Amino acid sequence: MWAIIKKEFKSYFLSPIGYVVVGILLLVSSIFFYLTSVQTMSVDLSSLYYYMALYGLIIVAPILTMRMFAEERKTGTEQLLLTSPISITKIVFGKLIGALGVIIITLLISFGYYAIVSFFAKTSIIPVLTSMLGFILISTAAISVGMLASSITENQIISAVITIAFLLMSLFLENISTIFTKLSIINFYNKFPSGIVSLTEVAGLVSFSFVFIALTILVMNRRRVSH
Amino acid sequence: MIEVKNVTKKYGNFTAVNNISFTVNDGEVVGLLGPNGAGKSTTMNMITSFIEQTEGTIEINGYDTIKKTKQAKKQIGYMPENVPLYPELTVKEFVTYMAELKLVARAKRKENVQEVLKETGLEEVQNKIIKNLSRGYKQRVSMAGALVGNPEVLILDEPTVGLDPKQIIEIRSLIKNLGKKHTVIVSSHILSEISQVCERVIILNKGKIVAIDTPANLEEKTKEQNILYLTVEDPEEKMSSVQSKIKDIKEISMVKDNEDGTKQYKVISEAQKDVRKNLFEVLPKEGITIFELKKAEASLEDAFIKLVETTEEKQESKKQKEDKNKQESKDEKKEKKQKEKANKQEEKEQKKKEKEENKDKGGKK
Repeated sequence: MWAIIKKEFKSYFLSPIGYVVVGILLLVSSIFFYLTSVQTMSVDLSSLYYYMALYGLIIVAPILTMRMFAEERKTGTEQLLLTSPISITKIVFGKLIGALGVIIITLLISFGYYAIVSFFAKTSIIPVLTSMLGFILISTAAISVGMLASSITENQIISAVITIAFLLMSLFLENISTIFTKLSIINFYNKFPSGIVSLTEVAGLVSFSFVFIALTILVMNRRRVSH
Repeated sequence: MIEVKNVTKKYGNFTAVNNISFTVNDGEVVGLLGPNGAGKSTTMNMITSFIEQTEGTIEINGYDTIKKTKQAKKQIGYMPENVPLYPELTVKEFVTYMAELKLVARAKRKENVQEVLKETGLEEVQNKIIKNLSRGYKQRVSMAGALVGNPEVLILDEPTVGLDPKQIIEIRSLIKNLGKKHTVIVSSHILSEISQVCERVIILNKGKIVAIDTPANLEEKTKEQNILYLTVEDPEEKMSSVQSKIKDIKEISMVKDNEDGTKQYKVISEAQKDVRKNLFEVLPKEGITIFELKKAEASLEDAFIKLVETTEEKQESKKQKEDKNKQESKDEKKEKKQKEKANKQEEKEQKKKEKEENKDKGGKK
């Protein structure tokens, strides 16, 4: 599995995709750093991560995931992967972790905001760390949605559109009925920014991701029979 | 060793591979031959467990591809059709990645990758990005990907498509060398290639095995007549009379006039009979000088086309028969229905008559 993680991570930065993703996330977070910290003279960085999760991920998740399986299928490299002795579960997790690597790079860079803030005033690092932990979990959830979308098509654009549609719709659907509240991953990211790791939120994000990862594995396995 | 037993692959109603069985022994190079859409790639995809068969079993060195997938996959090096590669990686990175995917131990990995690069002649370009390589090199990179990890079984799907003649010869000799250490299945629709490289040929058509044999035997089996090409100087135009002097000749026809006094003829005789000796005896007596005499080799191409065509004919005639039967049965049904109708009408009429009679009787009473 390590081989796949390494290769996926490397591929992101051998193509512009990795840089674009890091760039967009940093742009979004910088804008909200200005709006929520600089303008209001606040040392609170929590809303920065909240908005990065709310707006950043909707743009970034489809970019990160659209090629995962769709491109491999289109170019035929899928055959190399699926005829290797590595199991489909490991392939799926390898790709997921590879994509998370790009997110983690962004989070590491975002320590810069903390450095800037702590230069001017004394501030606790704990909310920043929990925000980051939460951000990794919510990214996992968004990426697993995109992964499923990528596994059902060989067209990257369709994959991206499905992912954006799902992430956007889930934001609005809860206004129609509260049944849809749990579909929207941002609802599981309320307590992390204030420095609290809530079991409900962790369990919510993990189980949300689990469902989509399991579905992706199912789709990939199913393709062996119906391909 | 590869054992394919009664394997069928269906896509909905379409049967891509229909009940095929064959074995490939250790260290054997076997060619999988067939026109486009014959089921070659499907068969290979099933052997490499890329897809699952609908029915039947496949065993690679004793490992079932469905029950022991991981073990079975470990035995195989696969070069897919259309050489899929990761264009953003360098040659060395790609081959190393393939080695990692094939679970080559870390200690041996570097050494193994270098070995394979050397074997496929890629040492010089190992640090180049695959995107920038020529088609021939890409093909070799794909081959290197299949070879890395020293798999016992190699599956090569159309390894020479799109190469120039020199590259084809190189790849061919590479495959020949590989056959010494590995069990190899090569697919192709180029027949000369198969006959040079393979010890046995499996010919597929429309998902069925048409023939399994050595290339030589296939040629022999399907040869019907002996063809000789004869270039002669024939000042007295006596060539046409030769046929009557040698009994075994079935036909003599002129191919072309070289306009330097010589002419080329085509001499056809039956497959078992060789008339070359007779020609050398008879022609000088007629005042004809032989410039050149050569035997036309019946090629595997002929064998192939013939086998494929005959199976198609069979299938067609079967279909026609089935259609006829269907029509006949339809006709019969129609007749039956008509008869039944007629019977019913008769019955009705009879009943009416009876009723009327009864009425009459009643009236009389």
